[in-house]
Amino acid sequence: MNMLRTFLAMFRGRKLATIGLIWLCIVGLAAIAAPLIAPFDPLEIDPVERLSEPGLPYLFGTDHFGRDSFSRAIYGARMAVIIGLGSVIVALVTGGLVGMLSAYFTRLGHVLMRGIDVLMAFPALLLALVLMTLLERSVTNTIIVIGIVYATTTARILFGMTLKLKGETFVDAAICSGAGHGSILFRHILPNLISPLLVQASFIFAFAQLQAAALDFLGLGLPPEVPSWGNMLSEERIYVTRAPWLLIFPGALIILSVFSMNLVGDAMRDSIDPRFKDDIAGV
Amino acid sequence: MALLEVKDLEIAVAAGGALLPVVRGVSFSVDENETLGIVGESGCGKSLTSLAIMGLLEGSQLRLTGGSISFDGRELNSLSPNERRAIMGDQMAMIFQEPMTSLNPVYRIGDQIVETIRQHRDMSKRQASDRAVELLDLVRIPEPARRIDSFPHQMSGGQRQRVMIAMALACDPKLLIADEPTTALDVTVQKEVLDLMADLQTRMGTAIVLISHDLGVIAETCDKVAVMYRGKIVEAASAAALFANISHPYTRGLLNSIPVVDHDVEWLEAIPGRVPTIDETLPGCAFHPRCSMAEIRCSAEDPAPHDVATGHTVRCHFAGKGTV
Amino acid sequence: MLLYTIKRLLALIPTLLAASVLVFLFIHLIPGDPAAILLGDTATPEDVAALTREMGLDEPIWKQYALWLGNVLQGDLGTSVFFREPVLSVIGDGAETSILLATMTMFWIVLFGIPIGILSATKHGTWVDQMTSGGAMLFASVPTFWLGLYLILIFSVGLGWFPSSGFPSISDDGGLTNLRYLILPSLTLAAPNAALIIRLVRASMLDVSREDHVRTARAKGLHPAKVAIKHVFRNALIAVAAAFGFTFAALVSEAVVTETVFSLPGIGRLVVQSILRRDYPVIQGVILVIVVLYMIINLLVDLAYARLDPRVSLK
Repeated sequence: MNMLRTFLAMFRGRKLATIGLIWLCIVGLAAIAAPLIAPFDPLEIDPVERLSEPGLPYLFGTDHFGRDSFSRAIYGARMAVIIGLGSVIVALVTGGLVGMLSAYFTRLGHVLMRGIDVLMAFPALLLALVLMTLLERSVTNTIIVIGIVYATTTARILFGMTLKLKGETFVDAAICSGAGHGSILFRHILPNLISPLLVQASFIFAFAQLQAAALDFLGLGLPPEVPSWGNMLSEERIYVTRAPWLLIFPGALIILSVFSMNLVGDAMRDSIDPRFKDDIAGV
Repeated sequence: MALLEVKDLEIAVAAGGALLPVVRGVSFSVDENETLGIVGESGCGKSLTSLAIMGLLEGSQLRLTGGSISFDGRELNSLSPNERRAIMGDQMAMIFQEPMTSLNPVYRIGDQIVETIRQHRDMSKRQASDRAVELLDLVRIPEPARRIDSFPHQMSGGQRQRVMIAMALACDPKLLIADEPTTALDVTVQKEVLDLMADLQTRMGTAIVLISHDLGVIAETCDKVAVMYRGKIVEAASAAALFANISHPYTRGLLNSIPVVDHDVEWLEAIPGRVPTIDETLPGCAFHPRCSMAEIRCSAEDPAPHDVATGHTVRCHFAGKGTV
Repeated sequence: MLLYTIKRLLALIPTLLAASVLVFLFIHLIPGDPAAILLGDTATPEDVAALTREMGLDEPIWKQYALWLGNVLQGDLGTSVFFREPVLSVIGDGAETSILLATMTMFWIVLFGIPIGILSATKHGTWVDQMTSGGAMLFASVPTFWLGLYLILIFSVGLGWFPSSGFPSISDDGGLTNLRYLILPSLTLAAPNAALIIRLVRASMLDVSREDHVRTARAKGLHPAKVAIKHVFRNALIAVAAAFGFTFAALVSEAVVTETVFSLPGIGRLVVQSILRRDYPVIQGVILVIVVLYMIINLLVDLAYARLDPRVSLK
C-alpha cells in the first residue's frame, strides 16, 4: 500500500505521464480479459467480409482474411504484455545476475564483462536477427532473443551500480558483522537497486515492443498466425493503399503503448537516487 | 553618495506557488577603497544578497521582491538586461566560493580571461591575451605567459581562485564581490588570497563586498561589518566599533566559535540549535530560540534596529543595556 | 594522439578475436552439416565432400577457425550460395546505398537533433520545451517501418513528390538526382535517432547549466545566447559525443528495417534477404563487417571525446 502511494506520488504534476499510466492499465486489462472483450475469434477467417471498413460490427474493420481487426488488436495487447514482461524478466534476471556478480567478484567480473563487451559489439537488432535465424519462430524464442539483447545493457548498468554500492559503508558494516556473500549481494545490495531496476525495466519493456514489431515485420519474429500488433502491420502492409485503417490501428496501439511506457519510465527516473540516474539509458 | 547603496532589499524564493521571504529589508553601503564584510551562518541570505547585487538571481526560483540597489549613481533594478550585462564583469565583478568548479573545464584559462576582456573592451585577441598575462602576474601566478595555456584541471584550488580573481579584475571593476572566496582553500592559501585582495584594493581603490561565515576572516580584512541572521542584518558597524563592543548575542556566539591560537581554550562554544528553515514562521526575534538571553518579550516582539553608538546599529532588545 | 590510437587499436584485437569466434561458430550452430549449409540446397554430395575437404571440416574445430580467420584476413569471406559470388563483392554492391543512406541520415540527425535540443533546453519548463521534448519522445516511440510506410503513402503515393522504392546507383548512371530516392528512407531512419539526440542534448545541457562555471560565464556579462552555446552546449557536447556510438548501432539496426521497407539495395536488406534465402556465408560476412565497423566507430567516438574534453588524457 505504502509502495503504491510512493509510486503514484511520482506522477503528481505530470499530466502526460499519468495519462500514459492510465493507458498502460487499459492495455493490461485488455490483455487479461481479452476473451471477454473481443467480440470475435481473432483467428476466424471470413472471406466474405474481407477488408471491411471500420464500423459495426467490425470496429477496426477486417483484414484480407476477413478476420476482425478489433479482436486481433485485443489479443495483440495480450501478446504485447507477454513479450514485454517476458523480455524484461529474461533481461533483468540474466543481465542483473551477470552485472551484480561481476561487480562483486572482481576476477569473475573481468571475464564476464569482457564477454558482455563482445556481445555489445553486435548492434541490437542484428544480434536479435542472427539469434532468430538459429531458432524457430515462436513466442518463447522471441522473448529469449529480445531478453538476451537487453541483458547486455542491463549487465553493464548493474555492474556500475553494484560497484558504486560496494564501496558504501553499509556494505563494509555487513561484511564486518559476518554476512556471507549471498546475504550481502541479495539482502544488502539488491534492495538498493530495486527502483533503478524498475526504471530500467520500463524502458526495456518499451524497446522490446519496437524490437518485436520490427522482427515481426521482417518475418523473423512471432509465427505469422499469432495475433500481435507487429504481425497485423506486417501482414496487411500490401493492402495499405486499399485499406489504410488496417495499419493505423495497430500502429497507433504500438506507438501509444511505447510512448506511455517511456513517459512512465521517465517519471520514475526523475524520482530515483540521483547517483544512479545517469546510468540508465532510457529515451 | 556611496558607490554601492543597497536599501531595504527583499528577496523571496518561489516554492509551491507561494513566495517565502529569504532576505528582508537589508540595507548597507560601500564606498570606494572600502571593504564591507557580510557575515552569518549558511542560509542566512548573505550569498543571495550578493547574487542580487550582481544580477545573477534571474533564472532561478529566486525573486527580487523589493528594495533598491544603486551603483555608481544608477538604480540597477531599473536597467534593461542589456544595460545590466554591460556592468557585470566590467564595473562590477564577482568571485565565487568554489574555485574547483567555477572555471569552465574545457577552455584554457587564458581564453576564459580574454573572453571577459573582449566582452567589455574593444581589444584585439593579441592585446587581450597580453592583458591576461599581466593579470595572472598581478595575482602572482608564476610563469604567467606559460600558464595562460593551462586548463583549469591542471591547477590547484588556490591557483584557480587566483585565476578567478584575475578574471574578476580584468576590466578594473569599481566593485568586487567575493562570496566565501577562501572557504574551499587550505588555511595557508586562504591567507595568501586574502592578502592578495587587500593588496589589490590599496593599489586600485576597488570597493569590496566580502561574504564569509568566518568572523575571523572578516575581522582581518574589513572596514565595515554587517552580521546577518535569517535574512536580516542584526548588527552593523565599522569593524573597529563592532569588535570593541559586540552588542548582539548572535555576533557574540559567532566570535566564541572561533578558536584563538594564542589563548588556552578549554572548549569552543558553538551556538546551540540551527538556523530555522525558511518555511518556519517565527514570531518575535528570529534568534530567540537559540539565544541564551532570551526572555518572553523576545518571542513576541521583533526588535527594531537601534543605535548603540553612532553608526553601530543592533537589532536586539537588550543591546546597549549591559554586556552580551 | 597517434600513440594512443595505436594502443587502442591493439586493445581492440582481443574483443575482435572473441567476436570473430562467435561469428565463426554461427555456421556451426545451425543444425546440419556446415558444408551443406554453405553450399545451399542445390549442392551435390560431391560438392559437399569437396568443400568439407577444402575447409578442413574433418579437422579439429580450432584448426577450422584458424583456416577461416586466415582467409578472412586475406579478404576472403567465402562465397555466396545465392549469388555464386565472393561474399565481399556482394557486400560491396550494397555498400554505396548504405553509406549514402547513413550519411544523409546523419545529416538530418544533426540538422534537426542539435538545434531542437538546444531550443528545448534553453526554453526549459516552457510550453516550447514540453512540445519539443514530448514530441521527441513520441518520435522515439514510433516503429521505423510504420513511419516509412506512411511516408511512402503520403509523399510517394499521395503527393508523388518522391519515388517510393529502390535506388539506382549514382556511380553507374551518374545523376546526383538519384539521391531523391534516399530522402524518404533517410528521414525515416533519422526520426527516432534525431529524437534521441534531442532528448540527450536537452538533458545534458540542463545538467551543465547547473554547474558553477556557467554562473561565472553569466557574471562576465555575456549574452544568454552566448552562455548557452559557448559554455553550456559546448560542455554538453561531451556527453552527446559519447552517445554517438550508440546512435551508429541504432542506425545499423534500423537500416535493416528501413532498407526493407523502401526496397533499397543496401547491406541491411541484404542481411534480411540472406536470412530468408538461408545464404549463411553472406550473413556471416555482413555481421563480421558490421562488427569491425562498429568497433572502429567506437574508437573514433573515444578519440573525439578526448578532443572535446581536455580532462581526458590520452594515455
